Amino acid sequence: MIQLVFFLALGLGFLGMLIFIMRRGRATPEGGAVALIEARGALDTLQGSLMPPELIGRIFEQQDLEYIEASTPAEVREFFLRERSQIALLWIRQVRTQLVSLRRFYTGRSRYYAQISAGTELSLGLNFLVLLSACRLLEVLVYVRGPFAAPRIVGATITRTAKICDFSAEKLEFLRPENPSEINRDRAGNEAI
Amino acid sequence: MDVLEAMDDLRLRTLAHMQRPLDRLIYLASTRDYNTGLYYHDGLAARFGEEAACEALAECHNEAMRELVTSSLEGLVGQMEGYMESARTRPTDFLGMWRGLEPYRVAVPVGTDPLAAGFLFSNFRVALAILDARRNVRPGLEPDASPRR
Repeated sequence: MIQLVFFLALGLGFLGMLIFIMRRGRATPEGGAVALIEARGALDTLQGSLMPPELIGRIFEQQDLEYIEASTPAEVREFFLRERSQIALLWIRQVRTQLVSLRRFYTGRSRYYAQISAGTELSLGLNFLVLLSACRLLEVLVYVRGPFAAPRIVGATITRTAKICDFSAEKLEFLRPENPSEINRDRAGNEAI
Repeated sequence: MDVLEAMDDLRLRTLAHMQRPLDRLIYLASTRDYNTGLYYHDGLAARFGEEAACEALAECHNEAMRELVTSSLEGLVGQMEGYMESARTRPTDFLGMWRGLEPYRVAVPVGTDPLAAGFLFSNFRVALAILDARRNVRPGLEPDASPRR
């Protein structure tokens, strides 16, 4: 009986691996431009709109709550917590959406454009898994206990996302030419040939 | 270069008289044509050209927005209180209109990030609730005593 369970588990493991490899194999370089643009867009949104420390600090810091608690009646406090929870949830969902978009690029197309070793790919996969789980956990915590319930998880999410963003920015740097005149020069050169 | 000079001029001559970022945001939003999204200022345009004036106004508008988004809730309540007093409108009318029409929604610069805009709008709603609550617990202050415009 134990042997049967063992072989069944082994079989299921192999099946899972096979499905994973088949899914990876489906990615082709054709149509990659869309994936690249999506990844670049996700990265720009994460770095530009969702990670500015002054905005995130303002959303999650307790200063406003302390002010509200000291100077307003209970119904205003409840209203404030509802409003701030909605903003916190909006931030978490947007971060999650952009992370999923970035992960799609790494799992599907990255090997055609970026030199990523198997070890790095595995580490990235783990990072995405942890981050997406943290986002889900944050969502639940904010929903149940309010926007100021988990400052440490917010901080860890920001730090880890920033690391992924830095890594991705390096890998996608070729999409942001520093000097557009070089492109024009290259183009002129190609036309001359 | 013209844009930077135009911005300096705008800050020095006009915006320096508006201490509160909220006042600057509303003033700068009022210089924008809602059909084209372009900003107009005759004095600035005569000196620096229409394009430079437009860019200077847009940049200062973004600046005011950033200042307001990073203001604390307490700071925003103070700014709204000051703005309400300077508007010379009855506080009850002012609060009612701001809650009903939400004029702050059209005062943000074009292309503002949705999260930042959402955060600011949410803070405005809370600030209005705080001001409203204050008026309700302090009836002795004669809410309707200020002259009507």
